[in-house]
Amino acid sequence: MTARGFGAPSLGSRRYGRSLLSRASAPGSPLWRLDWVMLAAVFALTVFGALLVWSATRVELLDAGSDPTSFLGKHLLNVAIGAVLMVLAALPDYRVLRAYAPVAYVLASIGLIAVLTPLGATINGSHSWIVLGGGIQFQPSEFAKIALVLGLAMMLGEPRDGEVAPRSNDIILALVAAAVMMGLIMLQPDLGTTMVFVAVILGVLAVSGADLRWLSGLLAAGVIGSLLVWQMGLLEDYQIARFTAFADPSVDPRGVGYNANQALIAIGSGGLLGKGLFNGGQTAGHFVPEQHTDFIFTVAGEELGFVGGAVLLVLLGIVLWRGLRIAMACEDPYGRLVATGVVCWLTFQTFVNIGMTIGVMPITGLPLPFVSYGGTATFAGMVAIGLLQGVRLRTRRYD
Amino acid sequence: MPRRGDPARRLSFTLLCLAFVMSLFAGRLVQIQGFDAQVYAKEAAQKRLQTNIIPATRGEITDAAGIPMAMSVERRTVFVDPALITAAQRGEVIARLSETLGVPANEVAAKVDAKPSRYQVVKRDVAPGTARQLMAYKLIGVNTELGYERVYPGGALASNLIGFAGADGKGLEGLEYAKDKVLAGRPGEQRMEYSRQGQQIPMSAAQRKEPVPGRDLRLTLNRDIQWKAQEALNRQVAKSRASSGSIVVMDPRTGHIVAMADAPTYDPNRPEISTAEQRRNGAVTRSFEPGSTNKVITTAAALEAGAVRPDTSFTVPYSLHRYGSLFHDSHGHPTRRMTVGGILATSSNTGTLQIAEKLGKDKLSAALHRFGFGTRPGTELPGETAGLLKNPKEWWGTQLYTISFGQGVSVNALQMASVYATIANKGVRVQPSIVAGTADAEGHFSPAPAPKRTKAISPRTAEQVSRMLEGATSVDGTAPKAKIDGYRVAGKTGTAQRINPACGCYRGGGYTASFVGYAPADDPELVVLVALHDPKRGSYYGGDVAAPVFSDVMSFGLKTLKVPPTGKKSPKIKLYP
Repeated sequence: MTARGFGAPSLGSRRYGRSLLSRASAPGSPLWRLDWVMLAAVFALTVFGALLVWSATRVELLDAGSDPTSFLGKHLLNVAIGAVLMVLAALPDYRVLRAYAPVAYVLASIGLIAVLTPLGATINGSHSWIVLGGGIQFQPSEFAKIALVLGLAMMLGEPRDGEVAPRSNDIILALVAAAVMMGLIMLQPDLGTTMVFVAVILGVLAVSGADLRWLSGLLAAGVIGSLLVWQMGLLEDYQIARFTAFADPSVDPRGVGYNANQALIAIGSGGLLGKGLFNGGQTAGHFVPEQHTDFIFTVAGEELGFVGGAVLLVLLGIVLWRGLRIAMACEDPYGRLVATGVVCWLTFQTFVNIGMTIGVMPITGLPLPFVSYGGTATFAGMVAIGLLQGVRLRTRRYD
Repeated sequence: MPRRGDPARRLSFTLLCLAFVMSLFAGRLVQIQGFDAQVYAKEAAQKRLQTNIIPATRGEITDAAGIPMAMSVERRTVFVDPALITAAQRGEVIARLSETLGVPANEVAAKVDAKPSRYQVVKRDVAPGTARQLMAYKLIGVNTELGYERVYPGGALASNLIGFAGADGKGLEGLEYAKDKVLAGRPGEQRMEYSRQGQQIPMSAAQRKEPVPGRDLRLTLNRDIQWKAQEALNRQVAKSRASSGSIVVMDPRTGHIVAMADAPTYDPNRPEISTAEQRRNGAVTRSFEPGSTNKVITTAAALEAGAVRPDTSFTVPYSLHRYGSLFHDSHGHPTRRMTVGGILATSSNTGTLQIAEKLGKDKLSAALHRFGFGTRPGTELPGETAGLLKNPKEWWGTQLYTISFGQGVSVNALQMASVYATIANKGVRVQPSIVAGTADAEGHFSPAPAPKRTKAISPRTAEQVSRMLEGATSVDGTAPKAKIDGYRVAGKTGTAQRINPACGCYRGGGYTASFVGYAPADDPELVVLVALHDPKRGSYYGGDVAAPVFSDVMSFGLKTLKVPPTGKKSPKIKLYP
C-alpha cells in the first residue's frame, strides 16, 4: 500500500497554474510523498491523548477550584509546538542533519550534566528536570534520545566503500558515546530512559548489519551488568521495589504494588465498551497515580473499554509499522538507521508503557508516545515523526 | 539470496516481533477487560463507595403533658482535612475558621498543620447557622458533619430518673439508658462515591437510606409537681443535713408516678462533674428499713384475716418482753387500753406486735408480698431493688415482731409509696409505672400497656385502714404536721433505725425519717412519700422531718391538679375504748 489513497486529492484536484500550492500538491511533490497514514495515526493519537488528559485532570482541577481545562490547554499547546518542531525536523535533508549529529550529542550531554547540577529539579524522585522559570521546564533525557538516534546512525551508518557492515572500531566508538549518555541518565536516576537507550542501541546495531556476535555479546554483557548492579546494591530501593511489585502486585498493595493494582482495576472495570468518556469513576476519583502522564492508558481502558484500548493499540501499531516501512524502504544506511532508531525508541516506550498498565511489565516512568501529557516528551515524539517523514521524503522511490 | 545480516531481513523480523507483542497486549486486554472485568469492576466500586452514617434524631423525653425534659438539638462538628489544604489557602482557612468559630488562630493552625491526617475536629456542637456561614466561604478541606447535642432544658429536673446520654448520643444512665432502643431510632446511610483524596465524585450515583428518628418517650411525670417535690426535698435534706432523701408522688388510681426525685442530684447537661451518688435514682435503687409505715400492712392483714376488728382493744404498755428481747414504744407512756385504730394512729410498737401475734408470720408475709414487697416495682427504671423480705420459714424468733413494725425488712421508696397507693385505691394494687407511652415524629401516640392490677386487700379493709391513717394526721396522731387545710389527709410516719455498716448493728446507724400518705382521704388523687436518710440536725422523727415536706408537696400537687377541697371533716375514730 502506498500513501496515495490517503493523499490530498482536494489539493490536487484544482490547478492554479504554477502557484506554490499546486506545485506542492502535484503528484510526486514532497506533500504527496509524506506518509499520510502515519500522520493520520499520529493526529488521531494526539486527539485521543488530549481527551484522555482532559478526563484525567478535569475532576482534580475542579476540586481544587481551578479551570478544569487548564491541563487540556497546556497539552494542546505542547502538541502545537510539537507539530511545528516536527515540520522543522522534516524540512532539512536528513543528510544535512547528520552533520549536526555531533552538535546534538554535545548539547544533549550538556543538558544531562546540567540536571545533575543545582539547575536540575527533582520531580517524583528523579532528578531529571531543568526548570527555567515561568512554568517552563524540560527533560534533557528526552532530547538525548534524539541525539542518540542521530549519533548512532552517523557512526554506524557510514560503511566504507565495499563494506556492508560497520567496522568494529566504529561500533566501539558508538557504544562508548552511548554509554556516556546512559551513565549520565543513570545518575538522575532514570531507569526507563536508560532502557530505551539499550533498545535503540540494540536495534540500530542489528539493522546496521553488524555481526550478530556484537548483539549477543552486548546482551550477555547487559545481563551480567544488571546482575552486578543488583548484587552491588547500586539500584535505588524504589527501583527494586518496583520489580518486586511487578512479580507480585499483591505484595504491599498500599505501597509499591499500589500503582499496578490500581491500573489493573481501572482498566478491568472498563469492560468491553468502557464507562464512557468522563464517566470513569476510578479516573474521576484519581485512584491511579500519574494518570495523565505515565498511566494515561488506564483512562482509555476504563472510560473507552477494550474497544478504545484496542483502537489505541492499533493506532500505535500503525505508526510503528509505517516507521518500519520507512526504514525498510530507505536504501541509504544512514537514513535507514535514523528511522530504525526512532522506531526502536517509540516501540520500546509503547511496549513498556502499556505493558506496565496491564501488568505484563514492571513499572518504569515512561510516557506513552503522542498520548501522555508532558511537554518535552511530546516535543521529542513529534521530532521523531519529523525525522521519519524527512527520511521518507528523501528516499528515492522506484515503485 | 539475502546475505547474512541483511537489514531488510532484520527489519522484517522486527516487524514480526512488533505484531507479536501487539497481539500479546490485545490478548491481555481481552483477559482483563473481558474475562476478569466483573472482578475488577467490583473492586473498583469498593474503592470508591463509602457509606456515611446519617445520625437519627433521638426522641424527646417529655412529661405527661408533652413538655420536653430531654431533647436533641441539631449541631455541626466542624473538621478539616489537612491533606486538602494547600499552602496558598492555609492562611485564609485558618483566619475564617478562627473568626467564625471563635477558636484561637493558633489552635486552628495546629489542626490544619496536623500531618499525616485526613480528619481533625476543629470544634464540636457548632450551631447550624454558624456552620452554614462557614460553609458559605467554600473553603477546600473544611467540612461539617451532622450531629445532635442532647439538652436537658430543666437542668436537674428529674435528672436522677431521666439520666443522660453521652456525646455519641447513646443513653448512659436512667431512662435514657433503659429506653435507649426506643429513643435512638435507626441511623440512615448515605452511600457516595469518593475519590482517593476523599472528595465526593461529582455526578456519581448516590444512594440514600433515610434515618428513622427515635420515638418520643412520654412519662407520667407532672413537670410542675416534679419541680416542687424536688425543691422541697432538697431544702429539707439540706436543712436536716440528711445524707440523702427520696420523694415519690403517685396517682393511686393509675399507678402513674407523678414525681420522683432524689437528693443529692445533678445537672445532666454536665454529667462529667457529678458523682455516682448524685446521679443515683435512690427512690428505686436504695432500700431501707421502713419502720412504722410498715404497720399499715400488719394492721390491714390482721383486719383482712379477721384476726382483729378496728375496735378490738389491746393492753398497750410502754415496753414488752418477747423471746428475751425488750420492745418499747418511741415515746414513754403509761400502760393503757387501745383500739387497733389507736395503735396505728399513735404508732405503738408494743400494740402492733400484739396484733402481729394474732396474725402469725405466714399471713403477714403473704400480705407483704401482696403489697409488692420482695419484688422489683417493674417501672423500667434501671437498677430497681426488690428490697429484702425473707421467707417466713427463715424468720427467727423475734422477727415477726420487728417486721410488723418495719424493722428487719427493707424496701425502696417506690415500693412503700405503692403500699399506700394500694390502700388509697381501695385495696387494688396497680403496678407503678413511669412511662405513659411513646410517640412517633408525627405525634402519633401509642400508650404503654395497661399496668397490672391485683387485689391486695378488700375495699372494706382498705376503707377501715384509711380511716385509721386519717387518725395519724389528727392532733392525737403522730403527724399533725402533715395536715393540709381543707383536705382530708391519710398517712403514716416512719422513724426507722438504720443499720450501721461499720458494725452490722443499729447502734450509731442513724434513722430514716419518712412520711407517706395520700389526699384527699375520701377520694384520693395523690400519694406522696418522703424519706430522709440519716438526718443529723434537729429531730429525726418522720412526723417532724418528713411530714412537713409531705404537706408542702401534697398541697402544691392538689392545687396544681386543681383538686377542690372536699370540705368534709375526717370521721372521728375511736383510739381508746
